[in-house]
Amino acid sequence: MSEAVQVPSPASGGIAAAAPIPRAGGLHTFARFVGQRPAFLTGLAIVGITVFLAAVGPYIGPYPTETALPGDTLQPPSWRHPFGTDVSNMDIFSRVIAAPRIDLTIALVSTFIAFVFGVLLGVISGFFGGERGLARYASEGIMRAADIVQAFPVFIFALALVGFRGPGAINVIAALAFLNIPFFLRITRGAVLQVRERPFIEAARCAGNSEWRIAFFHVLPNALTPPVANISPTIGFSILLTSGLSFVGAGVPVPTPEWGSMIAIGAPNMMTGQWWTALFPGIALGISILGYALVGDGLKEFLDPTKRV
Amino acid sequence: MRFARYIARRLLLLPVQLLLVSLIVFFLVRQMPGEPTFLYTGPFATKERVEEVRRQLGLDQPIHVQYVRYIERVIRGDFGMSLRTSQPVMTDVRQRLPATMELIGYAVVFSVLIGVPLGVYTAIRKRGIINRAVFLYGMMAGALPDFWFALIAIFVFFFHLGLLPGPIGRIDLMVSTPETITGMYTVDALLTANWAAFFSSASHLFLPVLTLVFIYMPLVLKNARSAMEDMLGSEFVVYARAAGLPRLMQWRYALRNAMPPIITVTGILAWFLLGGAVLVETVFAWGGLGQYAVQSVVNSDYAALQGVVLLSAVFTMLVFLVVDLAYFVVDPRIK
Repeated sequence: MSEAVQVPSPASGGIAAAAPIPRAGGLHTFARFVGQRPAFLTGLAIVGITVFLAAVGPYIGPYPTETALPGDTLQPPSWRHPFGTDVSNMDIFSRVIAAPRIDLTIALVSTFIAFVFGVLLGVISGFFGGERGLARYASEGIMRAADIVQAFPVFIFALALVGFRGPGAINVIAALAFLNIPFFLRITRGAVLQVRERPFIEAARCAGNSEWRIAFFHVLPNALTPPVANISPTIGFSILLTSGLSFVGAGVPVPTPEWGSMIAIGAPNMMTGQWWTALFPGIALGISILGYALVGDGLKEFLDPTKRV
Repeated sequence: MRFARYIARRLLLLPVQLLLVSLIVFFLVRQMPGEPTFLYTGPFATKERVEEVRRQLGLDQPIHVQYVRYIERVIRGDFGMSLRTSQPVMTDVRQRLPATMELIGYAVVFSVLIGVPLGVYTAIRKRGIINRAVFLYGMMAGALPDFWFALIAIFVFFFHLGLLPGPIGRIDLMVSTPETITGMYTVDALLTANWAAFFSSASHLFLPVLTLVFIYMPLVLKNARSAMEDMLGSEFVVYARAAGLPRLMQWRYALRNAMPPIITVTGILAWFLLGGAVLVETVFAWGGLGQYAVQSVVNSDYAALQGVVLLSAVFTMLVFLVVDLAYFVVDPRIK
């Protein structure tokens, strides 16, 4: 949650230039903004809970998360097992609250990597687009490469990337990061194309700054708002993809507690009536993704002054 | 005239794109860990045997030669042999493609048939219980995993209510498959007036299509709504209103001009569904391309995976080509 609060803070002066947030009391403004929007507040709460569970989830559950309990096969929800137990006697509640550890870590790390590369490439391709010489080819090349990466259906490409490298958290991170780079690239590029026409860029040029310096110290900070606002929904989307990959056995290997693989474990039981096996991990998954989407919507509105009253 | 030139340019661009896509797939395959000959020789092969297989696979050649040979094979439609089915990958794909197309086809048709009217309705009537319900649904459906929704649907409709068949594929075991014409069971059954096969395959299609439509329809809905909202606020509709044209006619003007974005999103939907179908097919044991892709990943069947990935990119490009061409049909101003 801390990064969600830091985003609009006046410390990152670039955003303040794009969206005139009052320098003094940025946090206060943000708090009031959140207070007026229950959906945003709900989203922040969900994000906060997932972060909290990612930190301590594996330790606070009543039962071990990766070892079977003796004799409690496929128990329906009860006081002993709030979410029931699965086919290999594991307590579903303990595993559901332990899962953000792996799901969120994968999503956060891959989104961070995609953000950094996407923004850098977006600045290069946006700022040097239409220029002459080498820079122009670089710009064109980046965009065509993005086109090609996006020519593959997302899930099939993720599956193939992991498939060729083998399952495991690191390979899932690599695949998701790679897939999300073009997304951040396009958003950043769009913002850069607008910012580079603004008068203060002209002023920076007159002051004798080099083009590279203008691109990364003047344009980039002022083009960050759109990509930053999209970090949160991308995290949600990455959680969804991770769980999908794990569901088909191409993501995080069992028995690591992970929502998608838990749903996969419960899948055969759904046909014979043990609904709790897949229901609870899926609800946790859906609520988390919803939370990150709500935070994204709220931040977009907060960072876009034209939509604020 | 410019239309023809545009189409020609798009068609010429296609092979270039395909070449680049094949390059990515080619290098993807080289990401795989370990010695590729291992899959053919097993762990106890002699050095000579490994060398022989390397030569057979062309792995002793420099990488650019390998790529050219790979392209030559792909152009001939030769994607190699699947290790799992011991058939040419192309044969496997040809058997499975109709199943996936049938699934995606129905999902696209129903998403558009339900999503566009709902989007138009919510753009016109901004208040009321339907608008609120549609908003909540759109928010929720975007967050739900499709494979999970499929399992819940199976629990409710198959286990609990007993209304629909379980996840055992495309048709009842007791019903013989209809004569193959298109490979899509419902279509073939209709063409041969085979009602038993038609009802059986339709009932098997119901849950997977329901899942895909429920999860992916909001994409169409939201875009139809925002396109319609834009058009309703545009000058020509305001003018039509000022001129006193009937409501229905204003809406018709607006909808006609909202068509291009709706067509675009239909293309994007088809692209999304091809990915989404992978998971839903797995749940329903559908036996289509998506399930084939998953099985090839799980079984390290690289030739099969390589073929599916390449074909999915070809599918994507064709979809977007059709979308671009559809623009000309609905909007005569693009000339």
